[in-house]
Amino acid sequence: MPKGVQIAIGAIVCAALLGWYGFSNLEGQATYQYFTTLDEFLASEPENRIGESLRIKGYVADGSIDRRVDERRVLFAIQNDPPHASGTANATFAVHYLSLETPDLFQDGAEVVVEGHIEGRPAGVVLIADNVLAKCPSKFQAMAEEQQGETEGTSL
Amino acid sequence: MSTLGNYSLQLALLFACTGAGLGIYAGIAKRDDWSQVAERCVGAVFALNTIALLALFYALATNEFSNAYVAAHSARSMDLGYRLSALWGGQAGSLLLWVWMLSLYAAAAMYANRHHHRELAPWVAAILLGNTIFFLALLTFSTNPFELVPAAHRVSDGNGLNPLLQHPVMMIHPLMLYIGFVGFAVPFAYAFAALITGRLDTTWFRITRRWALFAWAVLGVGLMLGGRWAYEVLGWGGYWAWDPVENAALMPWLVATAYLHSVMIQEKRDMLKIWNLVLIGLTYSLCLFGTFLTRSGIVQSVHAFTNAGWFTPLFLSYTLLVAIGFFAALIARSRQLRSTNRLESVVSREASFLINNWLFMALLIMVFWFTMYPVFTELVIGEQRTWGPVWYNLFGSVIGLGLLFMTGFGPLIAWRRATATSLRRQFQIPAGVGIATAVVLGIWLRREPMAIAYWGMCAFVTATITQEYTRAVAARMRRGESPLTAFMALLRKNQRRYGGYIVHLGIVFAMLGIAGAAFNQESLANVRPGDSTELGEYRFEYLTADPIPQQHYGGARARVALYRDEEPLAVMAPEKRMYWLEQQPSSIPAIYSTLREDVYLILTAIEPDGSATLKVYRNPLVNWLWIGIAVFTVGSIVVMWPPPARLREA
Repeated sequence: MPKGVQIAIGAIVCAALLGWYGFSNLEGQATYQYFTTLDEFLASEPENRIGESLRIKGYVADGSIDRRVDERRVLFAIQNDPPHASGTANATFAVHYLSLETPDLFQDGAEVVVEGHIEGRPAGVVLIADNVLAKCPSKFQAMAEEQQGETEGTSL
Repeated sequence: MSTLGNYSLQLALLFACTGAGLGIYAGIAKRDDWSQVAERCVGAVFALNTIALLALFYALATNEFSNAYVAAHSARSMDLGYRLSALWGGQAGSLLLWVWMLSLYAAAAMYANRHHHRELAPWVAAILLGNTIFFLALLTFSTNPFELVPAAHRVSDGNGLNPLLQHPVMMIHPLMLYIGFVGFAVPFAYAFAALITGRLDTTWFRITRRWALFAWAVLGVGLMLGGRWAYEVLGWGGYWAWDPVENAALMPWLVATAYLHSVMIQEKRDMLKIWNLVLIGLTYSLCLFGTFLTRSGIVQSVHAFTNAGWFTPLFLSYTLLVAIGFFAALIARSRQLRSTNRLESVVSREASFLINNWLFMALLIMVFWFTMYPVFTELVIGEQRTWGPVWYNLFGSVIGLGLLFMTGFGPLIAWRRATATSLRRQFQIPAGVGIATAVVLGIWLRREPMAIAYWGMCAFVTATITQEYTRAVAARMRRGESPLTAFMALLRKNQRRYGGYIVHLGIVFAMLGIAGAAFNQESLANVRPGDSTELGEYRFEYLTADPIPQQHYGGARARVALYRDEEPLAVMAPEKRMYWLEQQPSSIPAIYSTLREDVYLILTAIEPDGSATLKVYRNPLVNWLWIGIAVFTVGSIVVMWPPPARLREA
């Protein structure tokens, strides 16, 4: 058998084994959607999505963070747009985060992606979150962009 | 100063265009006199870029807030070191650094080869200047670091650098990545010039061997330092998250590693000529692509730079142009590149290096596919879907184990065809050591088979390296040398081989540490002053929290007493900082570090009721990763060290 064929067979066997290895470790969905925005989620009739797992992106509503140390959880609300951006009041959505481990950047107005599942509660539908990711507050970049815009055309 | 910088860049652009044009003319007309003019242009571009770079450093040092870049990325309250490092804290400044480094490499390469390989020189000058033109044009017309703030919007203080970047490692980590990325431009340019001129022997990679090694080693250390920074600053207990930007820097390093191994086969056996050119072309293209990925923000990432309109299409077109140009030249020359030698046996050094190459490529394809998956799905189904880090670890660990095996197996197996006797002689002891280690660890730990396989493999590779050194030293000692003299002579006389083993040993240590992550433990606890929380045999007693003395950040510092089996070890002081100017909080972990394991403590929050929420991690063997970096660095220096003059090739 030519050497090339020997090696090719070896490579195919390895690739097949890797594929099988990946497949055998597959639990539920392999990939997930990065996130849906809060508006997209609210438009899809949240009452019908009870039990579903998902990730929602929004902004922490000002003054909504309630750290309940005894219950080991943090309650807060998210809204679709950054606070103070438009001046109009945003619809908010309640999140129950089942841990006290909030990321550094988690604060009023922070852009967050919350990961968890939807539950119906007497007070309405809530997201029971088991993970909260916070992004850098956009203040920096917004300011940089503003300056960029203002200074456009002023260089030589 | 901004005006000076601006003019320098424009003048540099002019010289770069002239030089590139002259280089092409000199190459076609085979005129060495014009080639020398083109090379002078490289020097001029370097000098002008240096002036621009110094102008921006000066503006940062003197708080010239009329400069938009300085105002956006620096602030009066920052230390001088951090103010200067703001040069690579933003888009425009880091592009300036990039182009400066490219012109430095270009000038150095032209100078080093001013008397040799003259037929390649004009093309190398043209190719390197061609790359410079792109960056200079980008700096002059689109992302200018010397842009002024209009008088009406002048500020007395700047925005400041992202506080997360205000860390000593961050002063050098980006710098090292750039040195690595840009460094591959030199081997790339010589390979390209070889393709154009048809001088397709081993010249191009002999000239650039050290350049490629240097870029590769610096990129490797830079990558691992990035991990170190993440570990000490980001406060999530880990050092690598398969973030798109980390992947962007890892991909060219993987291909470059494959390249450095595979050129050895061409050198010894005159095989794989096309493959080596593919690898170096791919390495440089991936460096550009990685830079593009980092800055365009097309993949969600924590590292995202702000991205200004034209940048994405321009940079992508440039990357594609470079890659297409190179590979078109390669295809045009492919007939002349056919190897005369063929693989004689699958059990040979050549074949094992080939397998090593494939494993690196498999790793590359895996990282590329997972990283770019959100972009592909966005194009195809209109929503970004992502693979979690679990998947990288799942496949990466298997391929990595194969590579680790090759690290021990490849260097010891005979060229052409290995006999059963030679295999037994080389691998009997190391295989025994490896298997014994795995079995003992398996009986002791009884879980995490993958980590145990890694440690067994680490033992195997260490045994092969030890065996190589002992045999070689013993052989020299029989000639009457002392062990130390013999050891030093090995490093000096055959630095590539024995230095290479040291690099491998660095990788073994790093893998030893990385595999430890399988046994990480963590817990979250809320404690009142005087109370404790436990993790394994460790007890953490929360003493107090004090305000941090006011500076450009404030916040709280907790004091936590650490005990192991009730023996006091240390008082740890994790901080929860608030950077005033930037309005950005940041947790600084406290780490109690030993060779056996790290105890890593984060102050998640001081709660309104006065209690503290603490996150504790126990990370076995992490220190071996950093030790691995040090050993890797030493090995790389040994490999690159200029040989004694009498051994130097002409």
